[in-house]
This record gives sequence, C-alpha cells and structure tokens, in this order.
Amino acid sequence: MASAPIAPYNSSPLGISSSQNASRESLKMEPLADVAVLPGEERVIDKEIIYICPFNSAVKGKVSITNYRLYFKNTDSETPVTLNVPLGVISRVEKMGGASSRGENSYGLEITCKDMRNLRFALKQEGHSRRDIFEILFKYAFPLSHGMQLFAFLSQEKYEENGWNVYEPLEEYRRQGLPNSEWRVTFINKNYELCDTYPTILVVPYKATDEDLRRVATFRSRCRIPVLSWFHKENHAVITRCSQPLVGMSGKRNKDDERYLDIIRDANGTIKLTIYDARPNVNAVANKATGGGYEGDDAYQNAELVFLDIHNIHVMRESLKKLKDIVYPNVEESHWLSSLESTHWLEHIKLVLSGAIQVADKVSSGNSVVVHCSDGWDRTAQLTSLSMLMLDSYYRTLGGFQVLLEKEWIGFGHKFASRIGHGDKNHADQDRSPIFLQFIDCVWQMTKQFPTAFEFNERLLVVILDHLYSCRFGTFLYNCESARESNNVRVKTVSLWSLINSDTSLYINPFYTPESSRVLYPVASMRHLELWVTYYIRWNPRIQHQQQSPVEQRYKELLALRDQYLKKLEELQLSDSTPSSTHLTNSSAPNAATPNQHITHLQTPF
Amino acid sequence: MELSEHIRTANVEDVTLRRPFHPALRGTLCVTSHHLLFSDRKDEDSWQLLILLRNIDATEKSVENLFGYPRAVGSSGTITIKCKDLLVLQLEIPGMEECLNIASSIEALSALESVTEMYPFFYRPSHLTLHGPWGLSSTEKYYKQTERLWDRWRVSTVNSDYSVCPSYPHAVIVPREVDDEKLVQSARFRQGGRFPVLSYCHHRNGMVIMRSSQPLTGANRKRCKEDELLLQAVIDGSLLGYIIDLRSTQQAQQARMTGGGFESKSCYSHWKRIHRHHERGKVLQESLIKLVEACSDPSHSVDRWLSKLENSKWLSHVHSALSTAGLVVECVERDGHSVLVHGSEGTDSTLLVSSLAQLILDPASRTLTGFLGLLERDWIQAGHPFQQRCAHSAYSHARLKQECPSFLLLLDCVWQVWRQFPLALEFSEALLLRLAQEVYASNYGTFLCNNEQERCAAGVKENTHCLFQSLLSPDIEEQYLNPLYEPTDLAIWPSVHPQSLQLWTGLFLRWTEYAQNMEEAREEVWSIVKEHRERAGPDRTNNTPSTHCDTLTPFENLMDELTIL
Repeated sequence: MASAPIAPYNSSPLGISSSQNASRESLKMEPLADVAVLPGEERVIDKEIIYICPFNSAVKGKVSITNYRLYFKNTDSETPVTLNVPLGVISRVEKMGGASSRGENSYGLEITCKDMRNLRFALKQEGHSRRDIFEILFKYAFPLSHGMQLFAFLSQEKYEENGWNVYEPLEEYRRQGLPNSEWRVTFINKNYELCDTYPTILVVPYKATDEDLRRVATFRSRCRIPVLSWFHKENHAVITRCSQPLVGMSGKRNKDDERYLDIIRDANGTIKLTIYDARPNVNAVANKATGGGYEGDDAYQNAELVFLDIHNIHVMRESLKKLKDIVYPNVEESHWLSSLESTHWLEHIKLVLSGAIQVADKVSSGNSVVVHCSDGWDRTAQLTSLSMLMLDSYYRTLGGFQVLLEKEWIGFGHKFASRIGHGDKNHADQDRSPIFLQFIDCVWQMTKQFPTAFEFNERLLVVILDHLYSCRFGTFLYNCESARESNNVRVKTVSLWSLINSDTSLYINPFYTPESSRVLYPVASMRHLELWVTYYIRWNPRIQHQQQSPVEQRYKELLALRDQYLKKLEELQLSDSTPSSTHLTNSSAPNAATPNQHITHLQTPF
Repeated sequence: MELSEHIRTANVEDVTLRRPFHPALRGTLCVTSHHLLFSDRKDEDSWQLLILLRNIDATEKSVENLFGYPRAVGSSGTITIKCKDLLVLQLEIPGMEECLNIASSIEALSALESVTEMYPFFYRPSHLTLHGPWGLSSTEKYYKQTERLWDRWRVSTVNSDYSVCPSYPHAVIVPREVDDEKLVQSARFRQGGRFPVLSYCHHRNGMVIMRSSQPLTGANRKRCKEDELLLQAVIDGSLLGYIIDLRSTQQAQQARMTGGGFESKSCYSHWKRIHRHHERGKVLQESLIKLVEACSDPSHSVDRWLSKLENSKWLSHVHSALSTAGLVVECVERDGHSVLVHGSEGTDSTLLVSSLAQLILDPASRTLTGFLGLLERDWIQAGHPFQQRCAHSAYSHARLKQECPSFLLLLDCVWQVWRQFPLALEFSEALLLRLAQEVYASNYGTFLCNNEQERCAAGVKENTHCLFQSLLSPDIEEQYLNPLYEPTDLAIWPSVHPQSLQLWTGLFLRWTEYAQNMEEAREEVWSIVKEHRERAGPDRTNNTPSTHCDTLTPFENLMDELTIL
C-alpha cells in the first residue's frame, strides 16, 4: 500500500497519544505496561482473561479497564499481543455463553466496536467470573446511560496549542470576503432563538431583514433557514444550506420563503437559482406526508430543482454493516469484488461525491445554489463541505480542513451525539449512522486522486475518525452548538485540534503543492473509487503484513525509512511552502508553527 | 506491392477530429505508409495528431447516404479509430469515397505482415545513428557479470545456428559438466527444442532458476537420459530441486496424449514437482478484451463495475502470476533450492513467472537498466513470440490467432509490485506504460519478430534503432525514474490478497481525467525532489548520468544534499 504506515493490529489506533504529558499520579496499581496513561485516566479493574484473537488463536493475558480505555496484554508468550481500545469505541457489550456452556472458551464477553472490529474475551466458567468486568465495562463504556460523565470532561490533558481557537466564524467569513454589499452577518441567533441547531453567527442576504428571516424560519424544517456557507470571490456565486420546506400534503406555499430564495438568486444576478435536494425524488415526495417536501416549480419560478439521489442515514448504516461483514474478521476472498459491490458502500460514496461535484461546478460557473436534504444536517453537510473542499484550496490545508469541519459539521449541527451515540448504551438506536465516516471516506478518495493537492495526509483522517468515537476530546461531542455551549465544552474539555496542532509534522503530506485557484473535480466514476483498505481492513494483520515474514518486517523498515525521508523532504517543503513574502511579514502561516525553522532561510535559486 | 499502392486518398480537407480531453478540431488528414496525420493548419509545422498506423487495432466506419448519390454534397462518413494503446478517436470525413478509401488504407497498412515493411525499418531520427551498440544485455554479458556462475556453469553456443532450438538465442548458460551433445539430445526431448537453460542465479546462495518447455514423454512415458543428466547436473549434489509446472496436474496428464508430458518422479528422483494452473493464450486474450470492454463502457452510471471487473478475471491472472512467482522465490530464497519452471511451450507464462521471480529476488533487476536487461534476456532473447502475441490488442474484431497479452500481464504484475513497494523499484510507472505501448506499436525494432533467429534474418539490429538504448539516453531517462527509489538488498514479497491487487488504472483507464490528474501529481513530486537537489548545488545537476546504474540514485542524491543542508 502506498499509503502511510498503519499501526499493526495489536497496537493502538491512537498510537500517537502524547506521552510527554506523562506526569500523573493516579495509579495505585502497577502502571499499564507499554502505554502512556492520560492525565485524568484512572484504573478501574484488572483481570486475568483470554482474548480470542480472530487472527491468532486464544491468547491468555491481563485486561485493564480504566475510565478511558480497555487495555489487554498477553502473558502467555514472548510475542506481544496487545489491545488498546478507547471505551468510546464500544457500541455494544454482550455476554457470550452461559455458566453451563460447553466447549473451550465459550463463556465470556463479546464487544462490538464502532471502528470495524469486534473483540471476544473468554473467562473461567466458575463463580460468576465475568460479572464484575461486564458491569464495569458496561458502566464505563456507556457513562451517559449511567449518569456519569464522558472521559473528555475528566481528562486533564494539556497542550501547547489551544484547538478551540482554530475556528473564529467572523474571521472565516472575512477570509471569504464577507460581509459585503450583498451579504451581511446577522446575530439574530445569538441566543439560539431563531434556530436552536444553528450557530450564533449567520450570513444572510443583505436585502433580507431579520423579520424576513423569522418568517422564513416558520416554513423550514426545524427553522433551519437558507444561510450562506461559501462565497465565490470572483463571480459572487454562493453555496447556501438549509432544511426542507414545510410543504406538506396540501402543498403549502410561503411567500416569504419564495421571496427569500429569490433574493439569494438575485444577489449576484444568477438567472436561475439551483436547488440541490440531496434526496432521491421519491423520498422527497414521501416527506410530504410528514409535513416536509420540496420546492415546487410553480412556487419557485426562478429556481430549478435537482435531486441528487443520495440515500438516507438508515441505508448508509446498513451498507456499512454489510461492509463490516465482508472485511471483519475475515476478508471475503473468493468473490471479493462482487461482495464489495453488493455492500453498495462505494456506490453511495460515488453519489455523494458526484453530488458535490455538481454543486462545485454550478458555483464555479457563476450560479448560486441552495443545498438541502430533509433536516439539512447530514447529506447537506456532506455536500456543502465536499464542494467547498473542491472549490477552495484553503480547506485543503491542515488548518483550513479543521475550519471546514468546525464550520460545516460541528457549527451547523451535524448530530454527532445521535449519529455516533457517544457514551450511550442503546446500540440499536435508529439515529446512529456513519454519515461523517462517509464524508471522510470521500475526502480520502479525493486525496487519492490528487496526491499533491492536500496539505494533510491519510493519518490525519484516521486520527479524526478514531477520536470521533474515543470521547477523549470535546470536538465531536453533542449535537449542536447550543448544547455544547450549555455544557461548557470549550472550557471543560480539550479540542482534538489541540492534539493535532501540537505536532503537525505527523499529519503533513510531503508532496503537497499549494495551488490556490484550482477547482478540483475528482472523478466520481465507480472505476476510480477504491475501498479505503487501510482504514476498513486495518485490523487484519494479513492485509498489511504477514507476521513472521522477514520481508514484511523489512517492508516495515522500509516504510519507516521512507518516513524519515519524507520527513526531511517535508522540512524542506515547509521552508518552501511559505513564500518569501510571508517570510518577510512573518505572518502566521500554518506551517510556521513547527520547530523546523533552522532550514527556512534557504534561498531559492530561481 | 508497394505500400503506397494501399493509399488511394492521401489527403482530405475539412476533417473533424474528436478525441478525449480536446475540443473537436477541424483540419487536414493525411495517410502515409506508416502514419495517420492530422493538422489544423494554423501552424504549418505542427501536427495535432500523429498516429503510427501499426498502433491502430480496429476501425469502425459509418457512412451516411450509403445508398444515396455517390458524391453528393453533404455525404460524409465517420471513422472510429481504436488504438492498441486503448485510445479511441473519431474522424468525420466529408465525402463518402474519401472516407472509405481512408478506412481501407488504414486497415491494410495497420496490419502489415512483413517485418521489413514495418516502420522501425524506416525510422531515421536525426539524433540517432544506426550501427551503434544494440541492446543492453545478453547471455554472455550476464555470465560475465555473475561470478557465482563461473565455476559450475558455462556458456554454450550449441545453438549458434539456431538449429538445436529455433526460438532460443545463439548462446545459453548450462551446467559446465553437460556437453553440447547432451544438450542436443535434451533439446530433442523438449517441445520446440527448448531444453532447460539457466535464467537466474541467486546472488545470495547460488541457487538457480531454470526454464524450459515440457518434456516430450508422450503416452508411453519416454525417457531421455541426457535430459535427466542435465537436470541432475543443475542441482549437483544437493538433494532436491523444484519443478514448477505451470499447468494443473490434470492438464499435465492430458498433455501426454498429444506427445507432451511432465517429469515423472521415477526418472527425476531429486526433483519435486509442484503444479500451479495458469491460463494461457486465448483465455488471457479474452480476459483482456473483457476488461477493456468494461473500462471503456461510456456509461458512468452505477453499472455493476466491480462485478464486471471481477468477471473479466484479469486480476485473478495477475494474482496467479504473482503468487507462483512468490512460490519460486520461496523455493530459492527461503528453502535454498534450485527451480525449473515450465508450462507447455515455455514461451509465455514460463517467462512471466521466472522474470517476476527475479524482480522479487534480485535488487539488480529492479534498477532501470537491470529491468530492461531482464526483459531483453528473459523475453526478447528467450524467444517470446512478440509478433504473434501482439499482432492485435483488445479492440480488434479479427479472429484471434496467436494473440496473448502475456507481456502486458507481466507489466501489470510489475506495476502491482511497484505500488506495494513504492521505494524498491528504480523505474517509474511511466516506463511500464511506455513499454505497454511500444510492445504493440513502435518506432524501434526491439519488439519486432518472434525470436533471435528471425531478427537476424530480417536484419533488425542493422536496420532499426534499439528502444532500450534510447530509453537510457540522459535526456529521456529521467522521466522513467522513480524519485523515491531506495535500493534494498532483500526480496520484496508482494501481497496477493484480492484487496492488495488493484486495477492498473494508469493503463486501463489511461484516457480519462483521472490519469491526467495522476500525471500532474507525478510531475509535481518530481519537481519537489528535483528542486531540492538543485538547491543543494547547481553544479551537481550537470552530472550526466551516463552509466547511471551504479551508485548515485536520485534518492541518495537527495539524502546527500539533505545532509549538506
């Protein structure tokens, strides 16, 4: 695999836990071998256990459970087998077998994880040996179901960088050239009174008064009115996002909403405003039954409506489930490609990407667009953020990508808590769905097709996904900004970006070549999409390296060597990617934060 | 018949050309003996399109007004040209007669049978001269370079007049203790005279990879003492050698009915046979056709692409080639035994497996010159019938004769290795793509004919230029180098799990936007690497890498300079 080296299966997915913050006093028991315990992490139980490794056989060892993770280390042989699983990753804990079950290792626990793996442990079949560990796991893996706090609120981690500062909405809008004569910033939602799932700062058409906004809100599902996501500096076309209109069975109309969309259209003189409804046509029609719907032709005469055929959260959840079935624990080998096809996972990726391409293409040719689905927090977020990634090279930098996530996903209320189910025991909750994972997969597909266009590497994407579940950082907690504010997330928890930005060198793509004005159109044909093997199949040791093979060993060494080389290259790259003008002004280019400053004074010979 | 007699209409004006990534162009179309040219005449000297007629695999013509007036105003035709490098383009030609004439010229001239009429015999660029050194490697050179061979092996010229084996080169490497007379006997016992010869000697333990064709044991289990002695001499005292038979056990059994066969345990007691089934000939060619069909299906809808890809079976052929090569490597490197590889004729999958095994085993074959030398010894001189195998590619409607994409399959396998070990090969994907193109249609003589004997008879060395020499010329070579190359001494074992093998998009989806993006990205990577190299000292860039295979690799260069910094 040409991609970044992947942690071997028995090591932590979050292997880069910052060991420099190692001052801790919490442990009374012997320290966890080999693993840096986080400040604020506390040991709850140790237990002798058998890990039923699907890739080896049963492994005897000791499991330790803290308030953050499950850690297993084998005791039965020289070759280490370890597991390091943040409890947040766990979606389900079940008892396996009963006191009278026969057969070896038939009595124990089965743990289902959100990150494409399952873990099975066996215990001695006497004296209710699993009762304590089951109860502890159940309690600490699902703290919210037990009236306890998520680990993010207990963590005492400290970082040089404060990740909560990466995104300042006003600053981001200013970067886009806003406000201007067509678009204004409104604070109408400062107490979340207009819309409780939107952020406080919104950008709306200059010609629309706050009163207009209130009236439009009555006609949009959950009051999620059309607001600006992105502004094209040259042609002044915009991407706006919202939820579905409340048309209902009777085909209601709302003059204010119609006029409001026309103001959006008129802002840059677009002849026809294009409304992208992410849903399949039939679903949009079906939504009328529950009071929703779509913009009809006669009501919105200066608009064209395009359905993008992206399916809903339930379809995506089932698709990923099927994918997991064919990759874990054993990869379906005999008919790999057709099994992969039958999961439809890549097909969904394709539809999301090609929807985003249509949006980006429309906007770059000067036409403003409105994007919505039903509630405007799942498919809408995928489409706006992906099209922004295609249109605006800023979002392809390490810092810009954080801004994009903070803005389009976290700020505009993608329901992370419901979709992921942080700390919640209800594993069968119909609200859970891998929408954000699907988005990250789309980003990965783009990085594959444009290997030099992104400042960040695959590792960043994997780390983001790992911490999407881990509950170690506050970044992805709760469903919307108002909930985060009332829970004081910014004060009581650490941001994931604090971790990332304190050591950016790990996440930099050495081949990044900044190119400011280019619109990236990935090829969304099925032929050009690949399964993200290094994420979905990373737990399978055979995929990445055959154990005990000296060649594979050597290959890993080679990868390490390449990393060394890439790192050196990257140092040069860093000196390179800050053009001389920024050197002089000493501005805060995202790269300047790294300590590799000793080579930045090289002269370019041309 | 003169070539020019095939040309009834040499020039047509007002032709519209349509091709991927370019707006439609109007201009003049010319047909010459070997080329199709198109110019929009805005700039007299520049051709917008220059296609070697040999590169054209199939043409489809559609003529409007077929039953109308013979030369009516507005009658026109469209020729769709499908090239062997998988490019598809369209020409709209005014005038029905012109259209038909052009189409028939293309059909006749793209399928020339006589080697000496082909373009390499006419290609005379000003910067190249004939009678220079031809080729990079040979049996003798390989023998000279490989000190380990000197003691127990010798170069035999028993085939110097190609009478012992018409498809072998004039010189082969055989055990020293086996004299030429025994070789002649062994040749009689092997299909096409392809007696066991040395292909590779492992630098680490002296074990060898031999290749041959099947023994002609036939239904009544004939034996050949000399053949047995020859193989005994190969393992020389060690207790075991492996014969990798590239057919299933059943196929090998059946081969006896038609005079072929396999080495039985009783006659070759120190050799252990392992059977691995490999598809050949027609099956491979059809697989390629299916694959290309799936790739060029214009509908971008959700078109069951993955099933089509799977059904083409191309990737499973890649899989078996790589895993058998892995098996050979396992025998040689891990178990320390010599190996004999053969199928039936020993001209296709035999070469595929033995050359892939070398790539996996031998660091020397992973350099640019080393790899080209390997191709030269193990494919061209070893008598892979290029002319027969590559007469047509995936688009042709002509009835299949001996076409088979064995060489393309090799390139694909090498690409998979390159993808899995991005550092280990000195050459780049661009080289593999170039070779995939050249093997079907070329200005150079390298891939002409079916074997050395034919090439000598046609005077290929005297009258054409050598592709490999030209690839290594300093100004061209660089685009074929891998900027990230870092040599390793160890075997590079590719993973052959279905998730690890991927469609070679660079080749099969070459004429798509995607390939263009990747090409740009490649250039950017190069320029990053180069820029830093230049920065470290401009004087270094003037080093002409004349014999570049020895020490300075781009990567080492870079590391040097990094330390200087």
